[in-house]
Amino acid sequence: MLDTPAQTSVLSLDCAQLTTRELNQRLKALATEGIPAVRILNPEGRHNVAVGLTGPIQVTIEGSIGYYCGGLADGPTLEILGSSGWSLGENLMNGQILVRGNASACAAASAHGGRVIVLGNAGPRAGISLKGATLVVLGNVSYSAAFMMQAGRLIIAGDAGPNLGDSMYQGEIFVGGELTSLGADACETEITDSDWQTLEQELLPWGLDPHSRSFKKIVCAGELYHFKAKDWSKWKDAY
Amino acid sequence: MERRLLNTSQTFTPEAIAAIQESAELGRYSIRGFGAFRNVPRLDDLVFLTATLTRFPLEGYRERCETRTVLGTRFARKPLELSVPITVAGMSFGALSRTAKVALGRAASLVGTSTTTGDGGMLAAEREASAKLVYQCLPSRYGFSPADLKKADAIEIVVGQGAKPGGGGLLLGQKVNQVVAGMRTLPEGVDQRSPCRHPDWIGPDDLRIKIEELREATDWEIPIYVKLGATRVTDDVKLAVKAGADVIVLDGMEGGTAATQSTFQDHVGIPTLPAIVLAVEALKDMDMLGEVQLVVSGGIRSGADVAKALALGADAVSLGTATLVAMGCNKPIYVEDYEKLGTAPYHCHHCHTGLCPVGIATQDEALMARLDVDQATTHVANYLQTLVMEAQSLARACGKSDVHNLEREDLVALTLEASAMARVPLAGTQWVVGQNPL
Ligand SMILES: Cc1cc2nc3c(=O)[nH]c(=O)nc-3n(C[C@H](O)[C@H](O)[C@H](O)COP(=O)(O)O)c2cc1C
Ligand code: SF4
Repeated sequence: MLDTPAQTSVLSLDCAQLTTRELNQRLKALATEGIPAVRILNPEGRHNVAVGLTGPIQVTIEGSIGYYCGGLADGPTLEILGSSGWSLGENLMNGQILVRGNASACAAASAHGGRVIVLGNAGPRAGISLKGATLVVLGNVSYSAAFMMQAGRLIIAGDAGPNLGDSMYQGEIFVGGELTSLGADACETEITDSDWQTLEQELLPWGLDPHSRSFKKIVCAGELYHFKAKDWSKWKDAY
Repeated sequence: MERRLLNTSQTFTPEAIAAIQESAELGRYSIRGFGAFRNVPRLDDLVFLTATLTRFPLEGYRERCETRTVLGTRFARKPLELSVPITVAGMSFGALSRTAKVALGRAASLVGTSTTTGDGGMLAAEREASAKLVYQCLPSRYGFSPADLKKADAIEIVVGQGAKPGGGGLLLGQKVNQVVAGMRTLPEGVDQRSPCRHPDWIGPDDLRIKIEELREATDWEIPIYVKLGATRVTDDVKLAVKAGADVIVLDGMEGGTAATQSTFQDHVGIPTLPAIVLAVEALKDMDMLGEVQLVVSGGIRSGADVAKALALGADAVSLGTATLVAMGCNKPIYVEDYEKLGTAPYHCHHCHTGLCPVGIATQDEALMARLDVDQATTHVANYLQTLVMEAQSLARACGKSDVHNLEREDLVALTLEASAMARVPLAGTQWVVGQNPL
């Protein structure tokens, strides 16, 4: 359903009247046409919205959304005026996804590029297998964030749950609050001036001065890069 | 000469002794390629009852025997139409060389069938070489991209592999060169371990949503396969069908691998023979036989294996190791290089080392140069064609004008185990072990 509400000239699509298939078809068509912006009404936790969307279209989702919002997308700017289900921005290639509320498990799973910003808290495994994207969480994250992360950046302004950065290969993690525990092969390293600049760039736009927190930087120690007998206890006890 | 009697313990066999000493020296488990070594009940334990006076055979060189195979008819707008019921299994670029991947793609295209990517993403040269390419979506998601997804002819969500159901991938540092590391976003030379669970979903209810995501991203055009390592086949097949799979790919414990812990290969999962039967029964239970297609793999070597798998109810088979053997794996050439690996032709299972003597399972340019891509293409194509002709000849002899018409009724078992697993009578009896009284 395509209508143009009187109060705004932005097109809107109403989930209450469209199947997921229809909704995504419309979105793709609008993006192809070069329509700059669209609103999605009554999302009511719908799964797979804006999946595989390409191009610079701006999509505002007026409520909470289900799994895989913006999954496999490449280029759009999404804003969710509520919370999101699992695997927000999964395998994102480029573009930006902003969630005003909380994000459930696996936010930005395996995302290659672009940026996912969660203004609330994020559930377990945020940034799992991250492959180059930036994930910014203003609140806290649960356990096993950045599990097997390969590249990119995870910024947690609040507290991080257990096993942060477990089995990460590369990439960097910043934690502004309490750090419950590090996972296997993750280690703390010195935070540099250029890191502080990055943190300012990523956090100031959301009203948070990174200098108001005592940020720590976590990277991969590289001790599990090769199977070695001396690492037995690490392999045995790895979470 | 003095004659000595050598006693061998059946518990501490020479292999068990060697394994203990290897662990003692390495301080870790052994990792190898090639799939299960142990003997298991297999399709060899079944034979066909071809036509005689009670059935009429088709004339071998005159009467048609169809081999056309269509996969993915349930939801996809563009199912995969294959000329033959044999496909090439997913083997990663990284485990295999670029040239080996290209040869597989070209050979599959020549016989009118599909090939499959693997852990590590889609190689441009592979896409170009393969008329029909199945794109794997694995737990690691190395190199997975929506752009490649749009180039795929089908998607295969890998839940497990017969050689290691429940286990994640391995690629030892020797093979993680600059190109492989780049495609996988990994540090060069790292012993790559990949996860066994997908990063973005857990369990069948999530899988349903994941499948919808992939369909939305590909506009419901291409089929979605779900690949399972054979363990709790009945439940797994039902859950995958319920989650919305178009095709089930089922890999038995004989299934090949490039690098897996030995302990997984020989002690995990069930053989291909019972796996096929359980999957067919599960599909029948759900009234999905024919609507969801079944592709089986794990130790398929001959046209007889193909025909038996189809007779048990599979729609197609998928081949890994055998295609590598067709292009020269374990061939008695460069014998000294097999020896350097501590092995010999016909015994090599050293894909994990990256030092493949015949240039197939390697990333070393000098070794890769040993594989003549044109010849490898011809050999794999010849081999696949031979399998098709063998399967057709068996089907015709059973009086079938389509290989897919082969049926369980055409088979009997040579062993009690095979009778029980295949639910066909023991040869010479009416007895289906475990089903009817003796
Ligand atoms: C060298 C090699 C690499 C493989 N890589 C993958 C892979 O990346 N993904 C996957 O799902 N299976 C992989 N497999 C398993 C095959 O897809 C297939 O399940 C198996 O080879 C079938 O058994 P067969 O080798 O006895 O034919 C690999 C197998 C081999 C031999
Ligand atoms: S010959 Fe090459 S492909 Fe064959 S088992 Fe040995 S290393 Fe693997």
